Amino acid sequence: MRNVGIIGIGYTPVFVSKRKDVNIAEMISEAVEDCFANTGLGPDDIDAMVFGNMHTFEGVNMPHLWAADYIASLGKPVMRIATGGTTGMSAIHAAYYHIASGLHDVVMVVCFEKQSEGDSQVGLMGIVTPEIMAMLQAGIDISGSSGMGALAGGSAGAISFQASSYLARSGAGIEHIDGMAALERRNAAKNPYAHLKDANATAESVARTALISYPIRFGHICPTSDGATVAILASEEKAAELADGAAWIHGLANCASDASAGNILEGVITDPAEQMPCQLAAKQAFERAGIKDPKKEIDCVEIYNGFAHQTLMFLEKLGMCEVGEAHKLLDAGELEINGRCPVNASGGVVSTNAIGTSAMNRVTECALQILGQAGEHQVEKDVHKALSHGWGGLMQYVTITVLADKPRKG
Amino acid sequence: MEAPAENFFTPVVPLDFVYNYRVGPYIERYLRGFKDKKILGSKCPGCGKVVVPARMYCGPCNRRMEELVEVSQEGSLENYTIGHVILEKGAIKPAKGPYMLGLINLDGTDSLLLGRVEGVSVAAAKPGLRVKAVWKEELDGDFKDLDHFEPV
Repeated sequence: MRNVGIIGIGYTPVFVSKRKDVNIAEMISEAVEDCFANTGLGPDDIDAMVFGNMHTFEGVNMPHLWAADYIASLGKPVMRIATGGTTGMSAIHAAYYHIASGLHDVVMVVCFEKQSEGDSQVGLMGIVTPEIMAMLQAGIDISGSSGMGALAGGSAGAISFQASSYLARSGAGIEHIDGMAALERRNAAKNPYAHLKDANATAESVARTALISYPIRFGHICPTSDGATVAILASEEKAAELADGAAWIHGLANCASDASAGNILEGVITDPAEQMPCQLAAKQAFERAGIKDPKKEIDCVEIYNGFAHQTLMFLEKLGMCEVGEAHKLLDAGELEINGRCPVNASGGVVSTNAIGTSAMNRVTECALQILGQAGEHQVEKDVHKALSHGWGGLMQYVTITVLADKPRKG
Repeated sequence: MEAPAENFFTPVVPLDFVYNYRVGPYIERYLRGFKDKKILGSKCPGCGKVVVPARMYCGPCNRRMEELVEVSQEGSLENYTIGHVILEKGAIKPAKGPYMLGLINLDGTDSLLLGRVEGVSVAAAKPGLRVKAVWKEELDGDFKDLDHFEPV
C-alpha cells in the first residue's frame, strides 16, 4: 500500500454553541476556505472528497450533496461517512483507503456539526432507541426499568455505569475525573478552536459543579458545538510536490463489539468499562505502525472523551499505561502539556464537541503537533509519533490512527 | 387490552423533532429585500452569472459571490405543475383547489425561481409565457411576501 500523509488542515474560525451568523453550508465552507488558504491549494488540486457528520443531528439528509458547491465538490467523486461519534476519524480512514489503494492521489475530508440547529439528545435517541430494543433480548422492561432511568440523563446517564466501573476497577476517585476535566479546560484555554475554556480550572472548581448521574458531574461533560474541520490527504509523491511537510499515517484500525455492550446492557460482558474494541484496535494499529511499546514510542495522545473519566480509562485501554495507573500519571503531572505523556493538549472532546468533527480533530490535532503548528498548545516535547483515538458508534466502536513525522518504510 | 396473537413489542417513541435552520446572511438579505419589494440575486465574479435567490457560492466556478444585485420582477415561465395538496406544518392536506406552481426565469438571471402562478389556465400555460411578481399587501420580510406570479 502507498504511504499517505496529511498535508493540510482547516477549521472554522471558532467552535461555539451557536453560529447564528451563517447557515450549515456557509459554515462548512469556512473550513474549506481555511484549508485552501493554509495550503495554497484549490479545488483543482483535489481528486475526491469524503464528507462526514452525525446522522439525524441537524435533520438534513445527504448534507454532502446539499452543500456540494460549498465544499467545492462539483464534478468530483464524493462519499459520506456516518459511524456515530467516530465519523470524523472514519472519514480520514476512508480518505486513506482512497489514496493507499492507488485510486486517487489527493483527497479532501470535510466534517461538520452544527448542533444548535437540531436537538442532539433527540438525535442520540434516534440512534439509541434501536439499542434499547436489544434490552428485550435480556428480558428487561424498557418502559420502566432502571436502564431507562439512566437514559433519562441522555448520553451522560448512559455513560455513568462505564465511569463508575472504571473508578471501581482502577482505584481512581471522582476527584481524578475532576482533575482530568480541569486539566483539559486549561489546555482548551490555549487552543483558539476550543469551545469550553477555563485557564483557571482546578479539580476543586470542577468538583463544585452539579452531579448529573453518579459519578458524572456537569463539569465532566462535553458541550454541544457548532464547527467544521477540513483536511487534505495526499500520496507520498503528491505530498512532495504540493506541501512543505506532512503528518504520515503509519497505522490505523477500527473495531466494534456487540451493539449492546459497553454501556447499559452488558450482554455477556460484565464490565461496562471493558471497551474491548479499543484494546483490539490499538493493538492492530500499533502492529501496522511497527510500534512495539507505545509507552515509549508515542509522544502525545488525543483521546475521544465526551466525558472526562474517559481520558484516564482509554489511556489504560490503549496501552499508554498499566491498568490503574492513569490517575497516578495525572497526579504526577505527566499528562500536562509539558508532561511526559501529554494527552489532549487541544482540550479534548470534553472541551469541544461538534460531533462530526470530534474524532477527526483527534487526528488533525496530532498532525498539528507533529508539524509543530499547534501554536500555544504545542506540547513541550518533540513529537515524532502521535496516537489519536475515536470512540462512538453505540458506545462500543473505536477508531485508531497512528501518525508520524516521516513516511513509513516498507 | 387484548393480548396480541404473537408476542411482539410495539414501542411508541414520543419524540418531538425541532430543527431551527438558520437561513444564513445571503437569504437574510434576500428576505430583507422583500420588504422593499426587491428581488436580490448574487453575481459570480467568475462566470458573471446571476442566481436567485442570492447564495454564497458559484459551484461550477468554485467562486465566492460577494455582489448582490437587484433583478427584474418579470420573467418567463419555464415549466409548471399543478398541485392538489399542500404541506402544512409537515402534514399533507388537500388544497382548496388545484393551483399552479411555476419555475420562472427572471429576466437577466441564470437560474429558476419557484413560485405560485395565478391567472393562467392549463391550456394557456406554456414555456416562455411572460409573468411578473405580485407582492402581498403587507410585507413582513418573509418568503410569503412574494405572493405569486401572474401574466404580464
